[in-house]
Amino acid sequence: MAEAALRGLGSRRRSRRLFAAGMILVGGLGLVAAAAPWLTSYDPDAIVVAHYAGPLPPGGAHPLGTDTLGRDVWARLAYGARTSLFVGGLAMALSLGIGVTVGLVGGYFGGAVDTALMWLVDLVLTMPTLLLLIVLAAVLPPSLLTIPLVIGVVGWTTFARTVRGEVLSLRERDYLLAARALGASHGRIMLRHLLPGVLPGVVVLAALGMSGAIGIDAGLSYLGLGVPLPTPSWGRMVSEVQTYFAVAPWLVVLPGVAVSLAVIGFNLVGYGLIDLLGERRG
Amino acid sequence: MRAGLLAACVLLAACAVPLDPPPSGPPARPDEVPRPGGTLRLGAAEDVHTLDPAIGYDTGSWAFEQMLFNTLVDYDEGTTIVPELAESWEVSPDGLHFAFTLRSGVRFSSGRALAAADVKYSLERLLRPALHSPGAEFFAGLAGVDEYVHGRSPEVRGITTPAANRVEFALAAVDPLFLHKLAMPFASVVDREAVERVGDLGFRRQPVGSGAFVLAEWVEGQRMRLARNPLYFRSGLPYLDGIEVTVGLSDQLGWFKYQRGEIDISGVPSAEFARVVADARYQPLLLERTTLRTQYLGLNCALPPFDQAAVRQAMNMAVNKQRLLDLIDGRGVVATTILPPDMPGYDSSTLSYPFDPAGARARLEAAGLGHGFATTLWASRDEGSMRLGQSLQQDLRAIGVELALKPVDFPTLIEAVRHPGMAPLFLLGWEADFPDPSNFLIVLLHSRSRGTNNNAFYANPEVDRLLDEAEPLLEPGRRLPLFHDAEVMIMRDAPWVPLFHPVGFAIRHPRVRNYQLHPLRPSRVETVWLAG
Repeated sequence: MAEAALRGLGSRRRSRRLFAAGMILVGGLGLVAAAAPWLTSYDPDAIVVAHYAGPLPPGGAHPLGTDTLGRDVWARLAYGARTSLFVGGLAMALSLGIGVTVGLVGGYFGGAVDTALMWLVDLVLTMPTLLLLIVLAAVLPPSLLTIPLVIGVVGWTTFARTVRGEVLSLRERDYLLAARALGASHGRIMLRHLLPGVLPGVVVLAALGMSGAIGIDAGLSYLGLGVPLPTPSWGRMVSEVQTYFAVAPWLVVLPGVAVSLAVIGFNLVGYGLIDLLGERRG
Repeated sequence: MRAGLLAACVLLAACAVPLDPPPSGPPARPDEVPRPGGTLRLGAAEDVHTLDPAIGYDTGSWAFEQMLFNTLVDYDEGTTIVPELAESWEVSPDGLHFAFTLRSGVRFSSGRALAAADVKYSLERLLRPALHSPGAEFFAGLAGVDEYVHGRSPEVRGITTPAANRVEFALAAVDPLFLHKLAMPFASVVDREAVERVGDLGFRRQPVGSGAFVLAEWVEGQRMRLARNPLYFRSGLPYLDGIEVTVGLSDQLGWFKYQRGEIDISGVPSAEFARVVADARYQPLLLERTTLRTQYLGLNCALPPFDQAAVRQAMNMAVNKQRLLDLIDGRGVVATTILPPDMPGYDSSTLSYPFDPAGARARLEAAGLGHGFATTLWASRDEGSMRLGQSLQQDLRAIGVELALKPVDFPTLIEAVRHPGMAPLFLLGWEADFPDPSNFLIVLLHSRSRGTNNNAFYANPEVDRLLDEAEPLLEPGRRLPLFHDAEVMIMRDAPWVPLFHPVGFAIRHPRVRNYQLHPLRPSRVETVWLAG
């Protein structure tokens, strides 16, 4: 996947520019999330119109209008960035933790351990992801913690495979043989000598994983399985108002655009990193 | 940046798609006469559950059962009982005996003449324990039902057929609602030969009755077609040649198909409601009818802290009902009492609670809960219920109560609220089966209804006593005041927060004539006709 992306991106200068664009998008998203309380004076969960009579169009006291409950859309979008980053980040961290551990252990020990772990990876991979997500999200009580848990538990396999591949190529290097000859423990070798070697790849995957997790969170929320109401979440913002598309298109379009920008941002950062890290190594 | 964003939004707002015109059709003329022929095209979100009138207890099943079957008596366009299969009837002075004379010339669609024995057979079939009919309880008051149900008698002693066109009922105790019960689709007269030929299970899919229509085709999950019954006893009716039902149309999809002229009757989705009501092209096509319904927030009296009346009263004062009504496009009236306005015995002066968050807080403090508490609201997961739920969340947060929403499928909700320890708060509605206060106060709030429909697990012996006293009384002048006293007492105990009484809305294709919404039942279509 990484190689294909490299080829697709063309020249290095262009990819640097894309990386910069990605950083701007991600940075902007982080800024909005962090500064949400200063960017709007409205409580995102509060019904702020005095008398609800349908969603208000953008303008006036509500720069992006109000939704189908009479809440401020801009406030919900801004606070929704927090939800997206929190859920995406936690899910990604969990995937990363499981994936890197499995990849390191499998790749380093090889043999039966590796076979068993890769078997597990294949098992998770063969399960239809969306169905698995839906079942898990339906069984566990929805909360700000269970949703990242569900996404993380389903999404770690790519990390495990990539890290294992890297480890396989690293473990026959001289410095590792030396470490082993000096009597370093398995744990020490994995943490001190292998992990730094796979880290650049992991950082790339983390950025790509973040975009994937944000997308999945939006999808789950859209299906009504995301974080509990009334926590603002972009996916839910789309599903809550989809029947209003003809009447109030901005209600549907704005959160959709927000999800897209976040996913594109993290993707650009990820692919940009592939390029930059490849450049440094090469 | 911000200006750009704003400009983009204004552009988007300008992109709002204008409301399409309704489908075109012939305008109504004062001199027009009913024109026979044509097919009425309807849409349904889900497949019809059953067509066996002994089994169906939902609006979807009833809508079609009443096209296929008849009952002895029925309602007019309001809530007055009128003859149907019965030509006339007499009630004994003690109120225990009902004697019906059947209309002559009624045939089942199979061609066989409908006789008094068929009426008896249909009700005895309904009461057979093996059939598990949800309607059996309504006829448990007939004399001899106990012996019959326990197998000590092969027939129900209280149903007799002295002549082929005479059927008589004897009741074990006075039941002022007996005629209303006979007007329920449960009491439909079914063709015994057809039931015996296809079996009870088969009858759900191959029904045979005497109604205006017969089932022509049913492709499950896709469509159903009914054709006019040429043997129908009301000559010249129905006007329609048939009815076609397309299954799988959500509100939104049904609306689109309506606008394209592909179905004849539709609901109006929330998103379009304001525009449609304000649009002169649509106004003449809108159908509106108050129904005997109450939407309520149920408070589980078996679960702390809702076992304290002060807490339940606080809930009543904390809810902004007008806002809830606004959120459903104002389709209804705010509820201050349990009984809906069109119900006999409704009294707007019944004890009610004003919207008063400060007062609510004071009551919570008096109950030792000044610091607030957390609880859970069970509700159906549909868009409308979730809107109401989030509004309630906000109302309760204002008095320090943190409300978590538990969205579930409707069947799960119905199951959950029957367990005393499960749902502390729940969002439900009730639609009257017949126009009598008992259908709310006894069915939903008598202590003996705990485990079925008294999902608030409310029990007050004094209320029970009043309800028991009122139940057998025939004379409205004595009956209704007792129900009123009970309602006042219930409102004081506050097991419910009555929210609003919804009003029914539908829209018709301009070619459809004489389609009406009914306050108690799905719409009847035998006198509906299509203008050319």
